[in-house]
Amino acid sequence: MTIEQKEKFVIPIGPQHPALKEPAHFEFSVEGETVTSASVRFGYVHRGIEKGAENRNWAQTLYLVERICGICSNIHSTTYALAVEKLAGVEAPPRAQAIRQILVELERIHSHMLWAGVGAHEAGFDTLFMYSWRDRETVMDLLETTTGNRVNYSSNVLGGVKYDFTPQQLEAILKGVDYLEERLHYYMKIVTTDEAFSKRTRGVGHMSTEEADALGVTGPTARASGVTRDMRVDDPYLLYDKFPVTIVLSQEGDLQARFVVRIQELFESIRVIRELAHHMPEGELTVRFPRRIPEGETVLETEAPRGNLFYFIKSDGSDRPYRVKVRTPSLRNFTSVLVGVINHQLADVPMILAGIDPCFSCNDRSVVFRRA
Amino acid sequence: MRIGAMLGELLRHIFRKPATVNYPFVQQPVPQRLRGILRYHPEKCTGCQLCMKDCPSNAIEILTVDKPNKRFIMRFHADRCTYCSQCVVNCRFNCLEMSNEEWERAALRREPFTVMYGREGDLKEFLKKTELEVPQLKL
Repeated sequence: MTIEQKEKFVIPIGPQHPALKEPAHFEFSVEGETVTSASVRFGYVHRGIEKGAENRNWAQTLYLVERICGICSNIHSTTYALAVEKLAGVEAPPRAQAIRQILVELERIHSHMLWAGVGAHEAGFDTLFMYSWRDRETVMDLLETTTGNRVNYSSNVLGGVKYDFTPQQLEAILKGVDYLEERLHYYMKIVTTDEAFSKRTRGVGHMSTEEADALGVTGPTARASGVTRDMRVDDPYLLYDKFPVTIVLSQEGDLQARFVVRIQELFESIRVIRELAHHMPEGELTVRFPRRIPEGETVLETEAPRGNLFYFIKSDGSDRPYRVKVRTPSLRNFTSVLVGVINHQLADVPMILAGIDPCFSCNDRSVVFRRA
Repeated sequence: MRIGAMLGELLRHIFRKPATVNYPFVQQPVPQRLRGILRYHPEKCTGCQLCMKDCPSNAIEILTVDKPNKRFIMRFHADRCTYCSQCVVNCRFNCLEMSNEEWERAALRREPFTVMYGREGDLKEFLKKTELEVPQLKL
């Protein structure tokens, strides 16, 4: 992606660099210390997952798409399961939907706390990084006790879920989220009142509501600029129509707003988890699922921790998917970085990039751009 | 606005014990649902191969010793397994389970990762028949 490179002095930040944990190639045209334009190149972790899905049957692909991303693995698996169930005309029982929703919200907690730590680390605030990751261990332990693994939970099957929540586990979940809520209030206080951290986040990477809307940004990055877009509210899936979330918005549009919006979203997630844990529907966990799915195609959009996740699945009537297309939210948010770094110092660039919560391994599909 | 907003918390933590666990010397209790290595109980196996069909990484092979008498053995590739437990869900006769005790399975060579499960007599018969094809016997 290039946006008009005219200047001569170009700084390449190559695939191996200390700023981010994942490989991408950036080129910043600078004048002195100020960035005037930017371009980016991805594709370093392309693994051919969409091609791999063509050679595997429906159940095998479920575990393949789970491994597109390590941080948001459960939402990929849930979206795929929901989309294939929609194609097959089967609906998972209500208890399974409730369990899926609790796991999705727990994953959102883990993902946003991970991001808060990484965002602070990019600013050099390693203390917040270490302390928020220590508290994140609470949610990782909860996930390990209920599903058996800390990442890649493999809790979904086509037609329902594998593991049930025992009453002791629900107790443990409630206690865990109580502790996390207390800690999140503390982190919210730190992020908004610490002088040095505010100097690096207030007013940096500002994006107005119109810009955010025009660039097609999604997720907490868009909501921090005042764009009202949240798939859980716009098009409820799972049990979000009975246990809804309220959209968290901010009108500031800068980096600090992104921190604040993400932490406030976690308060909403904790509230939904509590409601669900107190009102779990009874019933069985799975429903019979056919081996061959009838012909057809379907589209499903859900709200991953980073934004709007889009799945297109096409079946040709056999026991293998014909085409699985995944469009992850990080890809849409990247243009906001290319526009947002202009007129900022080069040293602010890692934080602006971290502000959209980039997930490069999610990104690498093949995309074709055509100039209109 | 405060300078060093986390300082109070940091000073309080000087008097608390560290949050890290000294792993090889101190073991945390393992959750009951942990998905360690797969275990196979051949008593009820009918050789339907549903576990093989849905394995995302072809880690299971059900080998027939004697089909009419329902004697089967399993060759399990622990290095290919993704520990997803789809096979456990698929098996209708409860022949499979994932252990929560054996999960520290690092090894220095490839051989320990191919595990053969079955009744004693079945394994012996199978290995005798296919002596030339099973390389780990030639150590």
